[in-house]
Amino acid sequence: MSTVALLTGQGAASPADFMAARQQMAFTLGFHIVLASIGIGLPALTLLAEWRALRTGDAVYAELARRWMKAAGVLFAVGAVSGTVLSFEMGTLWPGFMDKYGQVFGTAFALEGIAFFIEAIFMGVYLYGWDRLSPRAHFLTGIPVVVAGLLSASFVLTVNSWMNQPRGFKLVDGKVTDVDPLAAMFNPATPVQAVHLILASLMVCGFIVASVYAVGLLRDRKAGRDDRYNRIGFAIPFSLGAVCAPLQVIVGDWAVRFVADNQPAKFAAMEGIEHTEAGQPFRFAVFEIPNALSLMLRFDAHATLRGMDAIPAGDRPPAEVVKTSFEIMIALGMVLLALAAWWALAWWLRRRGHRDLPWRPWFLRAAALTGLMAAVAMEAGWTTTEVGRQPWIVYGVMRTEEAINPNPGLRYGLYIVLAVYTVLAAATISVLRRMRHTPPAPVAEPELETVR
Amino acid sequence: MTQTAMALILAGLSAYLLFGGADFGAGLWHLVSRPSDRTVIEHAMGPLWEANHVWLIFVMVMTWTAFPPIFADVMSVHWIPLSLAALGIVARGSTFVFGKADSGPGGGTPHGGPDQRWYRRVFGASSMITPYCLGAVATAVATGGSSWLSLAGVYGGILTTALCAYLAAVYLIWDARRLADDDASLRFRGYAFLSGTAVGLLALPGAAALGVRSPLILLSAAAGAASLVLLLRRAYLSVRVTAGLAVVAVLWGAAEMSGLDLAGAAAEDAVLKAVFVALGAGALILVPSMTWLYVLFQRQPR
Repeated sequence: MSTVALLTGQGAASPADFMAARQQMAFTLGFHIVLASIGIGLPALTLLAEWRALRTGDAVYAELARRWMKAAGVLFAVGAVSGTVLSFEMGTLWPGFMDKYGQVFGTAFALEGIAFFIEAIFMGVYLYGWDRLSPRAHFLTGIPVVVAGLLSASFVLTVNSWMNQPRGFKLVDGKVTDVDPLAAMFNPATPVQAVHLILASLMVCGFIVASVYAVGLLRDRKAGRDDRYNRIGFAIPFSLGAVCAPLQVIVGDWAVRFVADNQPAKFAAMEGIEHTEAGQPFRFAVFEIPNALSLMLRFDAHATLRGMDAIPAGDRPPAEVVKTSFEIMIALGMVLLALAAWWALAWWLRRRGHRDLPWRPWFLRAAALTGLMAAVAMEAGWTTTEVGRQPWIVYGVMRTEEAINPNPGLRYGLYIVLAVYTVLAAATISVLRRMRHTPPAPVAEPELETVR
Repeated sequence: MTQTAMALILAGLSAYLLFGGADFGAGLWHLVSRPSDRTVIEHAMGPLWEANHVWLIFVMVMTWTAFPPIFADVMSVHWIPLSLAALGIVARGSTFVFGKADSGPGGGTPHGGPDQRWYRRVFGASSMITPYCLGAVATAVATGGSSWLSLAGVYGGILTTALCAYLAAVYLIWDARRLADDDASLRFRGYAFLSGTAVGLLALPGAAALGVRSPLILLSAAAGAASLVLLLRRAYLSVRVTAGLAVVAVLWGAAEMSGLDLAGAAAEDAVLKAVFVALGAGALILVPSMTWLYVLFQRQPR
């Protein structure tokens, strides 16, 4: 296709464009989801540190709180722009979806926008309030940042859960009528998906921040130093992740049961069930335990579970991708759970006066990887739910092909987006690294003092 | 209900043009001006991140909720310029915050490292790309044209970028005075005068060529002329009002001539009602907290 034809929008979308649009959406969402997790978790960590600083008057906690909030400010800005891109893509990639169903879930996005704005405003109040408010008042202004962040994530998630369990409208001759925005928002998938995602966000953020300090602690060890700043900087976020890890296992179990009841095709793909039969074995990677899946799901070793063969050929998701990503999520979740348990045990032993927290190199090396593990687990879980819903964009109602922008050339958009986001990620990381090395400085910018 | 929804969208667009547009224009001046002027510009822009994009997000969410077919149509046909605009917003927003975070303990003043220069270039270039693309799409929609590369689209892109530059120059005169930088203030006054004249010379023949027959043209022209007089008389606060009016009247004129089938595209009443309630409730929280942020921002650190 010539450049002129492309730029003026002649021709039609090809299958390559369709795949490119899906990849672009997956990539930009996958990018944003990590930043959004940090946007939720980092203010919470900051508040924990500031609360300790207020209680104990310990300067190390105060310094950690300041640094975390500064980093949160930068990451929040990158998250805001990467979120803006997503709202463009809703229309530029999936106009068929927006045209037909935009009004059904639009209210959720309006609420999300409001929650996001409140989060942004209080983030500003919190950042600029360090030296302008009393310590107590300043701490309190951080609470709306966390609450609004959680709300904003939950509102966005209602839309995704709606795509899995569409409610709140009727289809009459292919036209959407009788729209009930609240019924759409509070669809059956909302509670489980929202709780699962929020726990995942807190784990991702907690473990990523802990990873940074785990590396710092390993360096300290090598240099024979003992830096309390790094130890506390590790302990707070790692504890947050460790508290969430077992809860996430329970919620994950709830989520699997929900999918089994409501999206049999996704469930069959996740568990790799090919044939409908009684007494399904539990298959994981290369292992297989007879009857275990039926037993775990229905508490009956001989229960019949539907397999892929019960799903019409045209309605099957790509099973390999779904199964693999599901297994990656489970495996990483278990590793994180084990490390969390080790941390909890060490904590308990320390309280009983036995020994110090586990600062051994093997633990720190494993802990340094937890950030990456949690982020990969989250992306894998996201892949499971999104790819598992295919070929539907709205489960059982609209196919993804019907939603795609019919104009040609979407694949070129993907290439450009990949390039821009690569630079963005590299620049963000390098800025954050440089911020680590700047000496402690008051947050209030001196330029302001010269103004008035 | 449909009218209210459209009025809200237009209000959001106006706010985006007046505040976000001035941010874009400031980025353009940031690229071409000297270091002392840059300090003024950096200080005038948002404290934390580019908050004015909230208006754009508001407009998009309102449009896809209240008029889904129009949103789907505009976004899909014009996906190329709109994607470029989105990437421009990414580049602008991130270089803006990186520049601040990277400038060391001193705060906003650039220290001239290699990174800072790159941030400035990307920031300035994206400050032009985004309004250009958005303006081209808006003109294509308003004139019923098909492409952002048509003559009308190109004209609209240039005009919008110029309008943003003009608004920014006008706003920055006062900001420079607040910073007690009289030289910068005078220079921005010059920029405002030049860009204002240029925009007027660009907008009026364009409106005539596109066949705009609206009293809004007269309003815009009158407000623009008044702004030039006010600039000469150094009434730097009142010129903000007239310049804003001159610019926003162009947007209203374009909206008037677009002739979109709003009634046919509108969402159901239950949806609009839910959105209005949400926005009303949101405003009850947003307005006081926003006010508090501004008050706090003006306060001396202890």
